[in-house]
Amino acid sequence: MVNDAGQLYTMEGVAAGLIMLLTAYIVISTTSIYTTGDTHIPDMQLEQLGSDVLAMMDTPDGDGDGRSRLTELIGAGKGEMLRNEFLANCNMRTEDPDDNLQAQVFLSYRRTDGSVNTTPLSSPSDPGFTGRENTVRVTRWVQLTGKPSGILDIRNNTGPYAVLVEVLLWRA
Amino acid sequence: MARMNEEGQWIVLMGLLVAVALFFLALIVNQSALVGQTTAEGVLEFPKNDIRDLREAVFDYVDGGCPNGVQEDIVEISLERKNAVVNFTVGERRDVSGRELRPVEIHYNNGVTEYDETMYY
Repeated sequence: MVNDAGQLYTMEGVAAGLIMLLTAYIVISTTSIYTTGDTHIPDMQLEQLGSDVLAMMDTPDGDGDGRSRLTELIGAGKGEMLRNEFLANCNMRTEDPDDNLQAQVFLSYRRTDGSVNTTPLSSPSDPGFTGRENTVRVTRWVQLTGKPSGILDIRNNTGPYAVLVEVLLWRA
Repeated sequence: MARMNEEGQWIVLMGLLVAVALFFLALIVNQSALVGQTTAEGVLEFPKNDIRDLREAVFDYVDGGCPNGVQEDIVEISLERKNAVVNFTVGERRDVSGRELRPVEIHYNNGVTEYDETMYY
């Protein structure tokens, strides 16, 4: 019948089982570790990409009149076209399907009374934009010789003006 | 308990060494969770692109013959939209090593990074 020999072996076996379970749990949970860097690295990359694309679009194509594509589009008030060309440059990848970044373009300028106004130049490229996306903002100074079309209350009628192009950029 | 004997002491000692080695490896793995965080934070925090862009805007301003109002545009919009106190001055042309250049001073401060520059342009 029942006897009490070998109790130490039984306890040892239970302890070993617990240790093995604990080890398996630690090993499995290690693979899904969420590093603190994960929150910042994608933002940093997105911001750098956006700044580079804006800098590229602000570079004149030739020696001519020195006007960049960015200046042209802002001067003509073509915010939607600017957004699309910006995104085309952002989403381009070598030998891979296009990335899925979304953007919206804003313009900051000074009004007649000296206050600063920011107005959207384009709609968000993502129709499902909720306003709660994790966006980064990249900016670029643009100097315009004439009044940008579509901006009625900019500070005087002749210019030149310095305006700030702001692009919200996020991954959908 | 079984009776004590002194065999296998080398094996026990090697086991201890392996345990110590594993401890240090675990320390290294622990550190790797922080990889890239301070770097990314540093890049996000430091307004490299803003300062470069401001310099280009100032150069455009000088190239355009320092038109009225543009300096106020840059100062006001920087404060409002970029949270940065910015000022710059452009002096008269003077002879610098045989070339006629203007002294340009740029000051930038966003509360974290302060940047001052004097150059001839």
